[in-house]
Parts: sequence; structure tokens; C-alpha cells
Amino acid sequence: MPQLNMAQALNLALREEMSRDERVVVLGEDVGRRGGVFLITEGLYELFGPERVIDTPLSEAGIIGVAAGMAMNGLRPVAEIQFADFIFGGFDQIVSNVAKIRYRTGGQFSVPLTIRAPVGGGVKGGMFHSQSPEAYFIHTPGLKVVTPSTPSDAKGLLISSIRDDDPVLFFEPKRIYRTFREEVPEGDYTVPLGVARVAREGSDVSLITYAATVHDCLRAAEKAEVEGISCEVVDLRTLLPFDKDAVERTVKKTGRPVIVHEAPKMCGFGAELAAFIAERLLFDLEAPVLRVTGYDTPFPFVHEHHYMPNESRILNAIRKAASF
Amino acid sequence: MATRELTYVEALNEALREEMRRDDSVIVFGEEVAAAGGVYKVTKDLLKEFGPKRVLDTPISEIAIVGAAIGAALNGLRPVAEIMFFDFVGIAFDQLVTHASKMRFMSGGQVKLPLVIRTQYSLGRSYGSQHTQFLAASLLQAPGLKIVAPATPYDAKGLLKSSIRDDDPVLFVESGALYVNRSYYGYRGPVPEEEYLIPLGKADVKRVGDDVTIVAVSRTVSEAMAAANQLEEKGVKAEVVDLRTIMPMDYETIINSVKKTNRLVVAEDSVKTGGISAEVASHVCEYAFEYLEAPIVRLNSPPMPAPQASELEKKYMVSAEKIVNAVTKLVK
Repeated sequence: MPQLNMAQALNLALREEMSRDERVVVLGEDVGRRGGVFLITEGLYELFGPERVIDTPLSEAGIIGVAAGMAMNGLRPVAEIQFADFIFGGFDQIVSNVAKIRYRTGGQFSVPLTIRAPVGGGVKGGMFHSQSPEAYFIHTPGLKVVTPSTPSDAKGLLISSIRDDDPVLFFEPKRIYRTFREEVPEGDYTVPLGVARVAREGSDVSLITYAATVHDCLRAAEKAEVEGISCEVVDLRTLLPFDKDAVERTVKKTGRPVIVHEAPKMCGFGAELAAFIAERLLFDLEAPVLRVTGYDTPFPFVHEHHYMPNESRILNAIRKAASF
Repeated sequence: MATRELTYVEALNEALREEMRRDDSVIVFGEEVAAAGGVYKVTKDLLKEFGPKRVLDTPISEIAIVGAAIGAALNGLRPVAEIMFFDFVGIAFDQLVTHASKMRFMSGGQVKLPLVIRTQYSLGRSYGSQHTQFLAASLLQAPGLKIVAPATPYDAKGLLKSSIRDDDPVLFVESGALYVNRSYYGYRGPVPEEEYLIPLGKADVKRVGDDVTIVAVSRTVSEAMAAANQLEEKGVKAEVVDLRTIMPMDYETIINSVKKTNRLVVAEDSVKTGGISAEVASHVCEYAFEYLEAPIVRLNSPPMPAPQASELEKKYMVSAEKIVNAVTKLVK
């Protein structure tokens, strides 16, 4: 198996799916000749030509609208939004159209569309190139929302998303595109949507997280271990639908959940998780459900490392949960 | 204070009229708001009184409406722009989330953005999946916006006046069901003759009780009040907390109520996952954890788009009956 970083793993997934299924097309700003600003689609234009790898004008509503039409007419488009921050230009297309086509047509049409977009901070992108907009979309039935944290998951989840018959928002944590490599299975490798993974076993505190903060949690968990606190780290991988059984298992095991994500706290994905726990698992709790998140302000350019849930903020929450 | 009965629509109209008389920088625009007086008559006769320079019909382009409102606000006016259905705010989402909400931060506080976007959601009127959505929860991740959703004529008037005078962008969400459905608590009610304001960011305890807290917003307040009446007959005293302002949220009032009742039901006109009810529940679970004697219950729509058929829509919506059933289980 090759050692790949996340960017390479995503590129491999696209290459393999485009080779396997000629209905798969890629479109977006600069995805063709340029290979994408983060080079995720590098080489696809040369391999599959301009009919299947399409450079679009700068119009997010246009990209998603066109992709929805393609999907309803038999193709399996993978549309790229250059930064997830720009996805709001296509919000109406996603929420009012794409998400509702299956329902509105009584199941006569589905929209097998994948929308890829890089998310998250840590790259000095400022407030318009650092946001994590997943919570804007988990409130919309009909969508799936997926976000990987490792190269092999990136490949396996992207392939599953492309093969899924419903629209999938695929959020790629850009700050870990190239930070580490791991063995990534070649060929027909899929990771099922809606299934979390336990990234680290532990018994005292559950860190429930996804995307880039999985790695911050793993580092915080190592430090907590030195202090005698054993942390379990659950990587959700899919946010809509999220793996309720996995959340239930870890909360029943430790009774002390800490939720970690980069997006603002108010009504972030952590709110949904905490509310789910308060509804279903209240009597399994030994401590309040804590959330370590971005703050309720726009994403700051200068202070991004304070804004994002860094190791020390996570560690403080671990201590608070463990000592409650 | 002398009061009279006004409908929700009349109270809103009066708020606009008073603020336009008081301050000539207040202007109103949107689709059909001028000559037609708004499709729901909220802007009725404003054109007649204030003329076409201050009351403007726009083309059907939500991006242009919100974009123009941002420009007007940046340049010293106090625009009140109308988006006919909350669903259509989605088209102008980038204007709201990327521009309006961040302008104060982007400029280091050098500019303020005193704009109000009025809109309404029509759940309960059989308008189908693209004309009924209550999208407020999807905007709570955009710090910098204020989101207000009144449930009675009194609140509608006082909150709209405060929103217009606020120096930050306010999304003012009205309920289309409260415009027209006479059976609702929030359709008609007492409104003082004298001028008054209601501060943003303050919830209101609409009914006092000890046994359970029902947090509701907009149309669901009417359902919660009806439920509280029915529960009273069963000997259960429900406290009804109307959020009124969703962002910033008045956590203090919610927490104080839960500390008293130890039980929480949240009723919201949207799907459960990622809803406002999630934020309320998660906050209580973090800051009033030791006071909870029963699991928190979220009452929302099922996880699907709103159906158009009225019988299905009735089943889809949060109702007094559903609240009564949930509370009855909870207090056992």
C-alpha cells in the first residue's frame, strides 16, 4: 500500500472513481487545467479531458445548480467549492433544491451529487477562508455531511460519497491536507457513511470530535494520560446522519463527554450532540456535557490559534470533566 | 397604560409607521411592499404616507434586496428590507453571512450596519417545502447577526421598533401563521397606546409555573400556551418561556426557569437535528446539569421537508397536543 497524505488520497479516490465509472465528472473553479487551488484534482484534466473535468466561472450558485441538473440526468458530478466559506453563494441551491428533490418528486429523482469543499482554520486564511460551516447544513434533511480526518478515511469516504444516490457535502480539513502520510488501500476501498471510528480507546473521558480537531484531541489525550486520565477519542467521520450508537457506546462507557470542533459554539454541531446526549443518555452522565469550540465571533486572522480548540483548551476541559 | 387590541399584522404596521415618522432615515423596501402594501399587508399604506423615496418596490432578487440594504445602512440610512418568505433568505445567504454579519468586525468597529431584514415563515399554511422553512437555526453560526422572532402583537411591535433602532443587522422573523390564524394566542392581543420598546436579547416568561419549563419561539409559543392551559386542568403547572430574541439568546432566563422546574421541553418549528432546540438543550445540559431531574425533550418537526397537504402538515408541526403528551410523560 502506498504512503499518501490526505490530498494525495483524495486525488487517488477521484482518479479511481472516474476510471471505474464514466458518469463521474468533476467541475469547479480552477479544477481543470490548474488541478484545483489545493491540487486535489491535479492530473484529472490530462487523464479524462475537458468533457469530464470542467473549469467553471466563479459562481457557486451556478456550480451547484449545474451539478444538480447533471445529477438528475444520470451523471455523478463531484463539484468543488474552492473554500467552504464561499458555499453560502449556493446555499439556496443546496437547501431549497438539492436537498429536497427526492422528496418533492416522490422519489422519482435522486441527486447523486458530491460537493467537495476545504474547511477549517490554521492556515492563516482569515475570516473568509477559515470557516467550518457544517452546522449550517446538518439542519437540512435530505443532505449527508461527511468530513474525514485521515488519508485513508478521506479516500474511503469520498468513494462512498460519490457512489451514494443522495447529495453529500464533503468537507475536507485543509490544514491536514499535507501534514502526515499513512498507508492508503489501493483499489476499491470504501468507508461506509454514517459510521464513526474510535481513534483511541479510553475509559475516563470521551472526546467526541471530527475533522482536523481529531488530531488535537489525540495529542491532548496523550498529555491527559500522563496525568492519569484515560481519554477515548471518537472520530464521527459523518455528521449527518451521525453515528448515534457510537456516541451512546462511548458516553455509557465514560459518562464524561467533551465535544470538540472549530466552528462557533452557538448552535454548532456540538449543540446537536450535547442535546442528543441530554435527551437519550442523561442518566449515564457523570458530568455536564462540555463543548470546546471556536468562539461566537467571526474567525479572527491574528488570533486563530486562540480561537481554535487547541491542545491546552481541550486538556482543561478533560480535567474539568474528569474531576466533576 | 391605555391599551387596545391589535392583530400581529397591525402591530407590525404600527411599529413601521411610528419609526418612519420618528426618523426619516428609516426606509422600507422589498417585493410588493409599496403599491400593494406587502402581500400580508404589513407595509399597508406606508407608500401613501411616506412616498416613493422611502417606500420602494424592488425587483425579485433577494441578493439585490439585502445587498442594497447593506449599502444603504453603511451610508447612513436605516433600511427595513422585506424578504417575502424566509426560504428565500437562502438566496441572499452570502450577503447576510459573509457581508452583513461580519462588517463591524472587518472594519475594526469603524462602520455600523443598522439594517433590519424582515421576513416570515409560513408553516401552518400548507405552502409546501419551499415556502414554510424556519431557517433561523442555520444562521446562529453567523455571529454578528441578531435574530428576533416575536410571538404576540405586543412583542412584535416593541421588538420591531428596537430592531430598527439597533446599530447592528437584525433578521426579524415573523410567523405567517400568526398573520392569519385567528385561533392562535399570538394572532391578536393588547398593545399599549403609548410608545414602548422591548429590549433585544430578553426572553419573556409568558406563563409562570413550577412543574416543567416549555421553551418556545414564534408560532410554537401559541401552542405552548394552549398546552399549558390543558396541563393546568390535569394539575400540571407549566412555565412558558418565549425566547423572543434567538440571537443573542437569553440563557439566564432559561436557566433560572429550569433551576425552578427541573424539567425542560423545547418546542420549535423546524427539524430537530441542529435546531435552536439543540442549542437550548446543550446549554442547559452544560450549565444547569445538576438541576435536571429528567431528560430534556426536544419537540421539532420530523426529519423531512414540510409536506404541502394540510392534513400531513398538521401532523408535521409541533402542536399543543404533542407538548401535552411530552410533558405528561416527563412529569411522571
